[in-house]
Amino acid sequence: MDARPDAPTRDAVDTTAVGAPATSPRPTPGTTPTTAPTTAPPPPAPGPGLLDGLEEGVVVCDRDGVVRAANPAAHRLLPALRVGEVVDVARCEVLTRAVREGRHGPASVEVVVERPEGELHLRARRGPVLGPTPPPPPETGDGDTCWYLRDVTGEHQRTDTLLAAQERAAFLAEAGRALHGVLHLDRTARRVVALAVPRLAAGGTLVLRHDDTVTWATAELGAGRPRLGRTGTTALARLPRLAAALAGEGAGAGDPWLDEELRTLTGRETARAGGALRACPVPTTGVVEGLVVLTGARADAADELGAAEEELLSSYVARAGAALAAAALHEEQAHLGAVLQESLAAPRLPETPGIEWGAAYRPARETLRVGGDFYEVVGGAGPSARSAFLLGDVCGKGIEAAVLSGRVRQSWHALRLLEDQPGRLLGLLNTALLDAVATRDEHPRFATMVLGDARPLPEGGVALRLATGGHPPPLVLRAAGTVEPVPVAGMLVGGLREARFGETEVVLAPGDTCLLYSDGVVEARGSGDFFGEERLAATLPRCAGAPPAVVCEHLEQTVVSWLDGHDHDDVALLAIRAPRRGT
Amino acid sequence: MTSVRAASATDPATLRAAYLDRLAASDEEGAVAVAVDALDAGVDPEVVLLDVVAGAQREVGERWAAGEWTVVQEHVATHISERVVAAVARRAPAPAPSGIGRVAVACLDGEWHGLPARLLAEVLVRHGWEVEFLGASVPAAHLATHLHRAGPDLVAVSSSLPSRLPAARRMVEACRSTGTPVLAGGPAFGEDGRWARAVGADGWAPDARAAAAMLAADPDGPWPTGGGTDRSGADDRSAREEQTVLHARRIELVGVAAAAARPDAGEVPDELADDLGHLVDFLAAAVFVDDPSLFEGFVSWVGTVAIPAGLHVDEVGPALDALAAALADSPRTARLLRDARAAHPTPAA
Repeated sequence: MDARPDAPTRDAVDTTAVGAPATSPRPTPGTTPTTAPTTAPPPPAPGPGLLDGLEEGVVVCDRDGVVRAANPAAHRLLPALRVGEVVDVARCEVLTRAVREGRHGPASVEVVVERPEGELHLRARRGPVLGPTPPPPPETGDGDTCWYLRDVTGEHQRTDTLLAAQERAAFLAEAGRALHGVLHLDRTARRVVALAVPRLAAGGTLVLRHDDTVTWATAELGAGRPRLGRTGTTALARLPRLAAALAGEGAGAGDPWLDEELRTLTGRETARAGGALRACPVPTTGVVEGLVVLTGARADAADELGAAEEELLSSYVARAGAALAAAALHEEQAHLGAVLQESLAAPRLPETPGIEWGAAYRPARETLRVGGDFYEVVGGAGPSARSAFLLGDVCGKGIEAAVLSGRVRQSWHALRLLEDQPGRLLGLLNTALLDAVATRDEHPRFATMVLGDARPLPEGGVALRLATGGHPPPLVLRAAGTVEPVPVAGMLVGGLREARFGETEVVLAPGDTCLLYSDGVVEARGSGDFFGEERLAATLPRCAGAPPAVVCEHLEQTVVSWLDGHDHDDVALLAIRAPRRGT
Repeated sequence: MTSVRAASATDPATLRAAYLDRLAASDEEGAVAVAVDALDAGVDPEVVLLDVVAGAQREVGERWAAGEWTVVQEHVATHISERVVAAVARRAPAPAPSGIGRVAVACLDGEWHGLPARLLAEVLVRHGWEVEFLGASVPAAHLATHLHRAGPDLVAVSSSLPSRLPAARRMVEACRSTGTPVLAGGPAFGEDGRWARAVGADGWAPDARAAAAMLAADPDGPWPTGGGTDRSGADDRSAREEQTVLHARRIELVGVAAAAARPDAGEVPDELADDLGHLVDFLAAAVFVDDPSLFEGFVSWVGTVAIPAGLHVDEVGPALDALAAALADSPRTARLLRDARAAHPTPAA
């Protein structure tokens, strides 16, 4: 690469190229710098000059800003440029300033040139001054600068488009993250509008119809957290446009009545500060009907940018729809679960004179808080009446177990009214369970349980009658701290028609406690061993003298600590105490 | 006894002393009477709950730590205080919710001290919140189920033991997945709340009053997250791994430490095993939040606790040495143990 000092006259700098600096000096992207020519005062340049074919414009200016040379590309880029005239004739302020600042100014400037056909973005880079020979002779003039102009309009557009696309993708990704997993309809609704403002519009309202409820959430720029409210679907009768839009019949863009109706629905007092109104139906696969209404939306679909925003809007609404549908479905399921759970929740313990009760219940982790363990206590009426109790466990886990335990409990509640003798009551329950199974081809389902009743004794203390079917025997904690198992056993309930169940009577002296527990207690398995009967019997004496609620709580805590984070079966505990004397 | 009833003291310190006296006697009726009489004498319910009941419970904890009370006595006292809280709620019912928002109050998984959370719930109710109290030791999965169903505006979690911090992290993650912000409170998060941020909580309040004030000022947050810098130790994988290792080897480590601490004891007493278990848990938590002061705080505290048959101050050093030897391949853990050993005053074994 050599320089080719063609026209050796210094004044007519018309020439040449400096190859070497071209490749290395500046890492300006995409330039293929070179250098070059230009012409000076009376542009002689008879044939095509060295730089004439260059796409990059080259302009040489002296210190006063007078253009001394320019190649054809430069003329194309800056049509007003005239050699011999001051550079600002090109009406390019930024470039003029840079030229005047010369070597003390910036080495590169971005220039926007207004042209009838649109804006032109130029990048001007100050480069080596051209001279006839590679090291330009000193006469070149200290103030001379040489500028290399490149049209970067397209590059800018591409960058802008890319950045905008990235921003939209990031927004959608963020929205997806924020929406998925909320699974609660109201929270999802709030979030849908909160995310839309201000990115998509200055104000956003979501209207949802779900069963016979209309839920709305609205957010406005600078108006704090989204507001949410609901009303019955009957209210839609007074809001015909909204009802139509919700049903997907003609979403009215710019329909002033829709805005009016939304104001009625959300109780918003003032009209919004104008701006285009857009209504987008939310695709929710029919689980709910939804409509997002935006005011001052950024998309009007008029130009290319609008089209991209439009697409963003529909992608957003699609995500919102998926999240809302998931939340609505989940809510239905959760409602089912909650209703079931409520019906099976551990019952309140009665207040009975002369008998103290305590209980603890901890369902297994994986069963949505409904389990197969259960207990029931029904207080007797009157000071010496019998109070009935039941604690048991059905085999299996989860919903099936919960349903079966519900059946056992209901049967017990009914049968105990007819039969108060615990052993016979257990026999009736056994028959009832077997009959229920036989009528519907179910697999036989077993249960184990202890049931009985407690009667306060006139002289203090409590008399217990107990019967058991396949259940761990109850323990009696005497006031002094000794622990005795109650010697009673029986066969599984719901297994055989001719099953036999053991029956016994126990007298609790004042301060004594009888503990009924499910096998989740002794079968709790931590990092090592099972919790086991021995450990249970060893833990109990520490609770001597404590109220039954505390006994149960302490045991529950001990068992859960033993589990050390491992999964476990349901744990149910029921303690019955004869009050201490004098309390 | 009658003097307690007759005295219509309204000074919180006097009330607290009288209340504590009833707790010590396991006298539920008497304790309820102290609280209800104070209400009748015009004492603010919040003062009764926080200064009398909570204050007395703190004292109960100290008596337990001093070896004066057994665990069961502590439980009985707490049980009575629970009944008192219910009685206060009956006697001075909270106003209807003001619409400020809904909050779920829960204890961390493994946190059995439910009373502070219960008190927070009562205080927030009195500040107009609609409160769902989820009780002691709530597993993260149960909390997530509840959040999906009930969708409260925020979750307030309470914990007294820093050793529960890894569980706190799981809980925060469960809440995050449902988009519900978490406010942390209680001594577990450090005196200045420095560990609240390490587990990812959105805010921290030192006590129930502060929490109520913070939420009244700013129901939606952002809330202050307490002192301490963002150590982000909890995000560090190796910290998490070492914490997991400690958890998985807990039983073995307790055995190793027990053998070193009390070489001549045949069977390890439950009390010693409990204390050493806590030691390992605190170590794991310290590794988890990458803060040696958490572990050192526990080590110096455990020496002052006087539970019969529990870890004795002289046994701490050998236990730390044995753990350091067993955990030599976990660099952070080993460093924590070395530093704690160096800071521990007892002569080497």
